Amino acid sequence: MIDEELAEFEQTELSLLETLDHVLDRGLVIAGEITISVADVDLIFVGLNVMLSSVETARQVLRERQKKALSGER
Amino acid sequence: MFYVYCLSDEVTAEMLDGARGVAGCEPRLIEFDGISAVVSEFAETNIPVTREHVLAHERVVSRVLSHTTPLPFRFGTLAGHERLESYVVSQKSSLSLALERVRGAVEMSVKIIWNVEEAGQRAVELEAEAVAKVAATAGAGTKFLLEKRRAIACDELLKERAERLQNWLEKAVNDVVKEAFVQMEPAEKLFLAASHLVSREKLADYRARVEKARGELPELHFLTSGPWAPYSFSSLFS
Repeated sequence: MIDEELAEFEQTELSLLETLDHVLDRGLVIAGEITISVADVDLIFVGLNVMLSSVETARQVLRERQKKALSGER
Repeated sequence: MFYVYCLSDEVTAEMLDGARGVAGCEPRLIEFDGISAVVSEFAETNIPVTREHVLAHERVVSRVLSHTTPLPFRFGTLAGHERLESYVVSQKSSLSLALERVRGAVEMSVKIIWNVEEAGQRAVELEAEAVAKVAATAGAGTKFLLEKRRAIACDELLKERAERLQNWLEKAVNDVVKEAFVQMEPAEKLFLAASHLVSREKLADYRARVEKARGELPELHFLTSGPWAPYSFSSLFS
């Protein structure tokens, strides 16, 4: 169940990060007409590395909780 | 003011039927000398980067991509009619070349993740022996330099391994890819991000090649996505 939830979270966040990677950092630009400023940030590297760390942390926390719950039941 | 999604010389109004763009507005076409811009009305002078807006941008571009390959604009492009016309007309020859470059193709993305600690482990082992020999009798300065040397050796080994994997991926898909754009960050978990421009008729073959390649190295984690509009291949030739 935990793995399924994390896999779903991973998939949803990955889809959004992939979209951000493409639409924010690449594509045609009309000089002076971009109204947001993200040019110097490589969002996909930052975003995915943050996400991967958060998934790992979430996995650890949930597994610890599961272990504690199981030992408490015994 | 218009929010601008993409340019194409093949897009038609029917392709946009029922589409909803940024702020819920209907996208439409404005033609300038044979090249059409897909735009929608936008009342503000700037656009916040929200999930909703980003997805709306991509939704419209994807709609066009499902029929033909456009040149997508970067998210957040707002321009008045005159500014847009001046851009398209003044860049007409470069835009036409760029449209030819991507015609009939789509962008596919492959990202590879590794365990940086494991990948650098070999370098640590190689250096550990040399360090141990000297460190026992070394002063603080020498120890500092040895530690520096160890760190540099790790970085170099990671870079070497990343380049080998880049070549391996390139070889795996080379004959089904028109062009590739690769970014590498060997010190990061996500160390390789490749964008491939692939002809639509070779898409199934491309997917099979990537699937086969990922099976060859099960210790690596692959993130694949696409088809995308050619965001990485829309830079203009000057």
